Amino acid sequence: MSVPSHPVSLRRGLLTPGVAVLSCIALTGLVVAVYRFVFGLGAVTNLTNQYPWGLWIGVDVASGVALAAGGFTSAAVAHVFHRRKYEVLVRPALLTAMLGYTFAVIGLMADLGRYYNIWHPLLPSMWQGNSVLFEVAMCVTIYLNVLYIEFMPIVCERFIGRVGLPGPLRLLNGPIDVMLRIARGTLSKIMFLFIAGGVVLSCMHQSSLGSLLLIAPYKMSPLWYTPIMPLMFLLSAFAAGFAMVVFESLLASWTFGRKPEMPVLFAYSRFVAVFLGVYGVARISDLMIREAWGAAFAGDAASYMFLAEIGLGIALPLAMLFSTRVRRTPAGLLTASSLVVFGVLLNRINVFLVAFKPPYAKAPYFPSVPEILVTVGLVAGLVLAYRVCVTVFPVLPVEEHATDEAAETVQQRCPVQAESYVS
Amino acid sequence: MENSTFDRRQFLCRAGAVGLAGLSLAQPALAATDIAEGYGVLVDTTECIGCRKCEYACAKSNELSDLPLEGFEDRSVFNEPRRMTADAYTVVNRYDDTAHPERPTFIKVQCMHCLKPACASACLVGALRPQSNGAVTYDPWKCMGCRYCMVACPFQVPAYEYDHALTPKVSKCSFCFERVSKGGKAPACVDICPPMCLTFAKRSELLTLAREKVKAHPEQYLDHVYGEHELGGTSWLYLTSRPVTELGLMEFGEKPIPEYTEPLQHGIFKHGVPPMLLFGLLAVATKTFHHKEDE
Amino acid sequence: MFHKVRLTIILLALALCAPAFQGRADSGGASMSQKADTGGDCSPCHRTSSPSMDDLLPNSQCRRPRAHENLREDDAAVPDVVTMGQLTDIYVPVVFPHGLHAKMEAIGNGCSACHHHGEEGKIVSCRTCHTESTDPGNLRQPGLKGAYHRQCLACHREWSHDTACIFCHAKRGALGEAASKPDPTDITGKLHPNVTVPEKKVYPTEEQEAGSMVTFHHKDHVDLFGKRCVDCHQKENCSRCHDSAGPQKHVRQDSHEDCVKCHDTSDNCAKCHKDHEEGPFDHDKSTLFMLKEFHKQVACKQCHTEGKFAIGKKSCKDCHAPDWFSKAPKEFDHAKAGLVFSEAHKDNECEACHPNGLGEAPDCTACHDDKAYPKDLPGQRVPEAPEAADGNK
Repeated sequence: MSVPSHPVSLRRGLLTPGVAVLSCIALTGLVVAVYRFVFGLGAVTNLTNQYPWGLWIGVDVASGVALAAGGFTSAAVAHVFHRRKYEVLVRPALLTAMLGYTFAVIGLMADLGRYYNIWHPLLPSMWQGNSVLFEVAMCVTIYLNVLYIEFMPIVCERFIGRVGLPGPLRLLNGPIDVMLRIARGTLSKIMFLFIAGGVVLSCMHQSSLGSLLLIAPYKMSPLWYTPIMPLMFLLSAFAAGFAMVVFESLLASWTFGRKPEMPVLFAYSRFVAVFLGVYGVARISDLMIREAWGAAFAGDAASYMFLAEIGLGIALPLAMLFSTRVRRTPAGLLTASSLVVFGVLLNRINVFLVAFKPPYAKAPYFPSVPEILVTVGLVAGLVLAYRVCVTVFPVLPVEEHATDEAAETVQQRCPVQAESYVS
Repeated sequence: MENSTFDRRQFLCRAGAVGLAGLSLAQPALAATDIAEGYGVLVDTTECIGCRKCEYACAKSNELSDLPLEGFEDRSVFNEPRRMTADAYTVVNRYDDTAHPERPTFIKVQCMHCLKPACASACLVGALRPQSNGAVTYDPWKCMGCRYCMVACPFQVPAYEYDHALTPKVSKCSFCFERVSKGGKAPACVDICPPMCLTFAKRSELLTLAREKVKAHPEQYLDHVYGEHELGGTSWLYLTSRPVTELGLMEFGEKPIPEYTEPLQHGIFKHGVPPMLLFGLLAVATKTFHHKEDE
Repeated sequence: MFHKVRLTIILLALALCAPAFQGRADSGGASMSQKADTGGDCSPCHRTSSPSMDDLLPNSQCRRPRAHENLREDDAAVPDVVTMGQLTDIYVPVVFPHGLHAKMEAIGNGCSACHHHGEEGKIVSCRTCHTESTDPGNLRQPGLKGAYHRQCLACHREWSHDTACIFCHAKRGALGEAASKPDPTDITGKLHPNVTVPEKKVYPTEEQEAGSMVTFHHKDHVDLFGKRCVDCHQKENCSRCHDSAGPQKHVRQDSHEDCVKCHDTSDNCAKCHKDHEEGPFDHDKSTLFMLKEFHKQVACKQCHTEGKFAIGKKSCKDCHAPDWFSKAPKEFDHAKAGLVFSEAHKDNECEACHPNGLGEAPDCTACHDDKAYPKDLPGQRVPEAPEAADGNK
């Protein structure tokens, strides 16, 4: 297979009906978020003293981080193990991860009671190394910065020689250009450290997110509570990471009316199958060893959620991915990958919201409308940000039958080759 | 090749105190509470009459409520079991006894002040800490309001000021830490208790006392001191006449909650070695596979 | 008619006794051996017009069955009212009607029910041992506050089902005085109400040969047989009577425990266990000695001097002067004593049947070889007791 064409900025207008709808949803979420900051958590959420964690932690943060795992999995495949045919998938995945983590932190800010103290874990005087959450916080903080650094070359690529600040800011154009060139030069030499570090950090905090609820052994449903929850979270993050890249690539192609990268995605979807398979086997054997099967057929809400997660999120997509015919069609691949993504999302919701059965709760937790509005708004904001970024930055690969103009753009805009990351 | 990777690792090891190494910086485990020296309270639930004076004294001492004494005399609150809230660090519940309807059991609940507190193990900024005198205290200035302590607490004690927009606090009994450590007094609830069913003393003495009571009045007490071994022990201890599960208290094993997570955390990230090892392997892989491809 | 008289007596008793006790409570510390001031009339409380210390005969209206018994050497020292004002910050001192409680000690567990752990035979106040500040060195002994509350509440929490503080405590006002007065309907400052004696109780029992029903004529035991409450009611729990949710069932370890004090229950089951409800004690029926208008007035103990009724029966001479019989034998209408002579005996001289003296039991052997009193009678019982006569056939 030939080396895929190099990414370019998407040359497309931003003002589409879809963008308008997304903007409205995001704005609604923003208004509710502002309301939350003015009147407090109690005014908008259904959180109680028994259910201190709700939708925002379960979905915005925990699921957000899991679904942003594509950043490190694709980076590992393409840049650590040098499967260069997949490089075409690295930049969209990196952008998704960067935005995913950024929005996870924004979501976290909304949930934190004292959001202005979010920097406290950075103070050595407050370090509390026994806390799982401390490790998650440190890893996510550092990894977020690693993601920004990993994205820097794309910024350099876009703006070196083209820093066009208007008006009086014009004076800064020169210095910024110099700084970008220095950054590019330095980063090209040490980028491999950040990529390896990013993988390590991701493995650490993806698994530790699973350790978070190990501290509540008396409150968790046996369907999910297992001492190897961190391993489950890591394995499912791998599966979700690979699936998310496939899902997102196909979705982007469909949205932007581009031809899907089927040959690459077909090959890449093997990873999804392998990691989903390992994850599925781990889940089932864990349940067998702990003899917790009974609860799966108890007939309560938790058991249905569990069966949906295993059936729709693991078994069905696994069966689909084992079929080459399914994997060869964009529709089949989109369905399978979206099921995996759905399964992992459901797993995070299940672990953080469904499996958590605190004592003394008067009623089970269900998110309030404002909570849902903020979460939906964040997702809309993330999609919007993605849309803006692929328009501004060279993220998506150029189409194989690119117009002359596009080909020209590639030559103009992309002097830096992907290899420079690791040379 | 090998050397250069090694050098890079060395470099990162030194420079990376900011980053990776910091992650696994297990502080020396929080100063373990000296079980013999810590204070505790023995709650003799057979003597409690449900007068709610402890609730009143607590609210007054901690400035939680402006409610006058009369506000705490309403006994209709017993119709529904209550839990601690942001403005009540302790509540008393009534549990009717079908065998002795004339003598319902009243159970005062508050923070148990675990010897191995789950909340303190969970708190990522050390806002919750076990003190050497037995109290588990909370520092709102450190807190970032993540509420992981509330998830972690097996007794479901901490409450949250959800209605405070700017400076919400985790609220829970402080064992009247200031009052006890600086004022040399017993906690407010202990001080006011009319039938004196709360005894404040060194935990070890309370255990002896509890055993004596059980021995002297086997008809009055079950031979079990709730909190002696539960989850590694708690500073607050309960003597009951009925099984705790009938009294709104949960049954627990002896394994302290932090031991469900801390050994794993410290095992995986011991001195930062495993992450650094993985990092080294990945760095080597990066170079190896790159060169392979070049060939 | 008789009931009306009874009712009058009860009302009279209430009217006379209440102020008398009230006066005692107010005066405080008055000796318990003082008699109730009823103007020299003993009938409100006693079943005899001349009660003595040995023979009190309290009736069912007597509310202090042991009021005149000197239980303790220093009886006069039993305080009537104790003011507990050592620990008052929120509330004003509590007025504790000690006398009221002490009066009931006999059916409870005695003074030691509250004055526990004391030296043998010595009653000490709570304060002697329980100090106002808890002794950290002795966690086993609660402070005075705890001692007071535990002691009171041990009973009160069970019978009132209410442990509200204001039940005993008056709240302190802004200026430190009582903001509210104690509830006058509360037990504080009130006398112990009359104990009402039930007429009878029918107990279902285990199946016995003769039946599974025991009829206990409670009132008769008090009024006729002179049993005091404490003779049976001992180690009672206050809540047995004082339960706002209704009286509780008295659970006995052994159902015979109270009966065996007088009755022999060893092998005479059918005497009490019947298949029907048994009527009240009838002297005529059970003893064949009819109590007519005069003897009906006589207290049982006048004749039955020992506790047990079967024994210790006095002969007539013990009361009636020996010449009472000789003086007016001709006027003595034997029918009034319950016997109408048969034709054969009608004209007999008194001495023919009473050879040992007129006050003694008759002797039939002078004429009959096969007859004996009281199995056989020289005539008929008066018609009021035909069954008794039938029984002799």
